Amino acid sequence: MTLEIVKPGLATSIQDLGRPGYFHLGIPEGGAMDRLALRAANLLVGNDEDAAGLEAVFLGPEIKFGAEMTVAVTGGEMPILLDGEPRDNWTSFNVMPGQTLSFGYLKAGARIYIAVSGGIATEPHLGSRSTYAIGALGGFDGRALAAGDVVPVGAAPLAEEGLSIPEALRRGPGKPAELRVLPGLYWHRLTEKSQAAFFDDAWTVAPEADRMGYRFRGGQPMEFVDREQPFGAGSDPSNIVDGCYSYGSIQVPGGLEPIVLHRDAVSGGGYFTLGAVISADMDLIGQLQPNAPVKFVRVDMEQALAARAERKQIIEQLRESLNQPG
Amino acid sequence: MAETGLFPIGSRCFLYQVDCPFDLNHQRRFWAMADAMAERDGVAEAVPGMTNLTLRFEKVPEDLDALERDLQRLWVEGRQKDLTGKILEIDITYGGSGGPHLREVCDLTGLNIDEVISLHTAPDYVVFAVGSHAGYCYLGGLDPRLETPRRKVPLQSLPGGSLSVAGLQTGVSASAGPSGWNTIGAADVSFFDPLSVPAALLMPGDSIRFRAAEVIA
Repeated sequence: MTLEIVKPGLATSIQDLGRPGYFHLGIPEGGAMDRLALRAANLLVGNDEDAAGLEAVFLGPEIKFGAEMTVAVTGGEMPILLDGEPRDNWTSFNVMPGQTLSFGYLKAGARIYIAVSGGIATEPHLGSRSTYAIGALGGFDGRALAAGDVVPVGAAPLAEEGLSIPEALRRGPGKPAELRVLPGLYWHRLTEKSQAAFFDDAWTVAPEADRMGYRFRGGQPMEFVDREQPFGAGSDPSNIVDGCYSYGSIQVPGGLEPIVLHRDAVSGGGYFTLGAVISADMDLIGQLQPNAPVKFVRVDMEQALAARAERKQIIEQLRESLNQPG
Repeated sequence: MAETGLFPIGSRCFLYQVDCPFDLNHQRRFWAMADAMAERDGVAEAVPGMTNLTLRFEKVPEDLDALERDLQRLWVEGRQKDLTGKILEIDITYGGSGGPHLREVCDLTGLNIDEVISLHTAPDYVVFAVGSHAGYCYLGGLDPRLETPRRKVPLQSLPGGSLSVAGLQTGVSASAGPSGWNTIGAADVSFFDPLSVPAALLMPGDSIRFRAAEVIA
């Protein structure tokens, strides 16, 4: 079974939940920017939650189906059209061979996830089908999809039509988006004034916002506590001796614009990181458009772990909501 | 100087760093520690950085004090991992459009182009760590006379094969991506092949030698 990309959209790529375990080779975890949305889309079409689907950002693709399958679209709000007829998002529907899926303009959020029953079935690389375009790895020839690509789809029975995720479980960013931050590694390098300003200032998403990271601007430049310059670092106070960056780490080159590292980020480097956006809020970043207002909210480890537990519960509720008989 | 100890990056990810000199003998201790820690239950990944080690756990570790004590004991034991003996020779085109910051590096170091290139091609560089992007090698052994600050604003995208310096480090980018380093040359080399095992061409303990194939002043 296949589907054909008629128009690719802006940067539509194949993503699953990623390939953890290759940091030592310099390969980031990768995978969907909004993991919850991909899980939901997969559940709606009867797939395993970690099956590969399509991630489209800002502009939807146009897709022609080569076989009968069940489809669900989740994530950002973008009108869905099947042969020109509207379909609901976060809801499963069946398609026939030759039918075409297209999208209207993005109304909210930034990324949509398209799951098909059977999942996208390209060859996995290093344990995942996720496209890591910078490393030309995974997905479809290691790149974003292009017009004319014929994408393989796994064989699977059709799923139930009209299954839907309850509104309450469709989480998107608020205005401003509140991103919870656990201060970490080099927090002590900032002056108290800058520590306070980071959480008080109103930030907005900069145009440099992609799968590698989201840059923010609008806050005050950061001031650093004086230090003796370490051997491997540059003289700029935002430089450190190179180490790993984890997913969610917030680096601030030159102390100017914080960058939250996302799924395809560099795996390490020499800019200081002041802390990390907690994993429970990383999906929200994947749904932020440039210029979106953002507040960083300070949490401690206990609150971060509570947020993670709460998010696990939401995933559990997603599963349960679809297991209820008809 | 970096403080010795275990520091949280997130809830399941920690950095162990040591206030020690940036040299091969100390780096060899981090490689040995990474191997030892990777064997442990609950450790998802142990990744050597430059005079540090990042540990990623499958679950939130319960006793961080005990973990720190274990790491300290491993460090004090001082076991070192050997060099592999593998040397990769790489032809470099210094300067030109592939090395846009060569002149800036001359200005920053007070050296002329020939001196920069002769100092840069002199040593065998040891791969101290692999990371940043797929297959990228952090190298030790840069002549201190070539030390420069990182750029204040990183370049959004630099092609793969770019040779850069920053601080006391140098390296060749393995793929296109952003960079905060000063780029002085370019090479035609592939450090990463997802279909090979391992997928990265070089690992910690391997070495690189640069040859000046061409100089565009």
